[in-house]
Amino acid sequence: MKSLTLRDLSKTYFDPYAGAHVTAVHDVSLTVQQGEFVSIVGPSGCGKTTLLNMIAGFIPVSGGEILLDGRAVSGPGPERGVVFQSFALFPWKTVLENVAFGPKMRGLAKTECERIAREYLALAGLAQAADRYPNELSGGMQQRVGVVRALANNPEVLLMDEPFASVDAQTRMTLQEELTRIWQERRPTVVFITHDVGEAVFLANRVVVLSKGRVLKELDVPLPRPRAWDLLIEDGAFKALSGQVLQLVRSA
Amino acid sequence: MKPLLIAWTLYARWTARYPAVRSIVPFIPVVALWAIVAESDMFPRVFFPGPLEVVRSFGSLMYKGILPDYLEDSLVRLAVGTAAGMALGIPLGVLVGLHARARAMLWPILLFFQAIGDIAWLPILLIWFGFSLTTMTVVIVYTVLFPVVLNTALGVRRVPLDLHRAARSLGASSARVVWEVVLPGALPNIMTGLRNGLGYGWRALIAAEIIVGTSGIGFLMFDARRAGSVVEILLGMIVLGLLWYVVDSWVLAPIERATGQRWGLVTQ
Repeated sequence: MKSLTLRDLSKTYFDPYAGAHVTAVHDVSLTVQQGEFVSIVGPSGCGKTTLLNMIAGFIPVSGGEILLDGRAVSGPGPERGVVFQSFALFPWKTVLENVAFGPKMRGLAKTECERIAREYLALAGLAQAADRYPNELSGGMQQRVGVVRALANNPEVLLMDEPFASVDAQTRMTLQEELTRIWQERRPTVVFITHDVGEAVFLANRVVVLSKGRVLKELDVPLPRPRAWDLLIEDGAFKALSGQVLQLVRSA
Repeated sequence: MKPLLIAWTLYARWTARYPAVRSIVPFIPVVALWAIVAESDMFPRVFFPGPLEVVRSFGSLMYKGILPDYLEDSLVRLAVGTAAGMALGIPLGVLVGLHARARAMLWPILLFFQAIGDIAWLPILLIWFGFSLTTMTVVIVYTVLFPVVLNTALGVRRVPLDLHRAARSLGASSARVVWEVVLPGALPNIMTGLRNGLGYGWRALIAAEIIVGTSGIGFLMFDARRAGSVVEILLGMIVLGLLWYVVDSWVLAPIERATGQRWGLVTQ
């Protein structure tokens, strides 16, 4: 896993209804170190999903560049794994086949793909679900598959676009705790997009507040790990940081 | 009310154990009504034969080998035409579904030719290819092609954007995306296209056989008319209905159960 650098990244759309150009992302510069967990938080319409779609290569940039370990990247690629809000699992593939998809596309042998997939399924406690189809799983289980499917491809950066926004509150807390555990075990470089301030602070080493397409502020999160909601929910430092981020987001 | 309820419970339990019962029982009153009307001699027997006569005629045509031969001819024509129609239609549908420019160019043409309809081609095909197998094959391929193309294109466009993106960001090439994402995602719609195409194709085939007239179920029926044999016409009609039922419940429905329904893409 290597560092990710965004240099003066911009995105301008032509809005046919307004009849004018709209700037969704404006000169965003950001460096994410190898093994770092960065949350990007902001109100809806602040450009955070546009930013992630550019990093993932799903949409072209209007200006600036994206460097991965010093190399400029464009278009989607396996070195940038993505976890989607909609899960985006392949409904016609079993859980095992979904997780084995990345290794399969890399051209690995079938047995090797399956070995990798089983290893990552075990990491997320999904060994029992290997032969099920996604529609037979709960939302929380589906997104666990979504996360390990991206991780199993061993990406240099893991991009997560509001991955837990469509599961219920209790499941969300469990998934957040599991994600911090997996992050500690594997140390992937993560860019995590969310509108949930508590989630942003809970997960990250660093929180980036985005407002109207610009970086409003970056804050370090020096909270100790492992992190668990039982402990942090009453923690003074956590509350102070969350409060500070919340104020920034609401002022944005 | 009570005995009816008991009878229905028994029926439900029976059909759960033997699903074939479910497809036979609804026909019992239909056949009974037919038999009663025929037996009442309301109409001359020659014009309105009963079920027994049709069964007897079925036995005799099976014995002479005419029915199996004609049936085979019809089914082979339908299978060849359908296979060719799908081999052309699915790639074309994928192209039209994925490619905005191809869609802009081809869509009006597709709609134009779809409107001309299968048997409207027969006059010109008869001049070009004569009373031949080619004529019949072209009609079937033509009939199967459009529902398959249009439905495949629809299915391709309905595959969620995030699935394309997920596959690309996991390292899939464009060709792999088509194979691993677009085709399976469009499969429920392709099946709908196939179902419609087969239905239209089957009808077009009967029409073509009546006109081209060398063999087949359509020819059997038209030939029976010449001989004034209402029994054989009725037999042909029943065979048509039964065959469709068999194709649907033994081929199409199991495929749909194993794919789209299993994956949760379509409701059961």
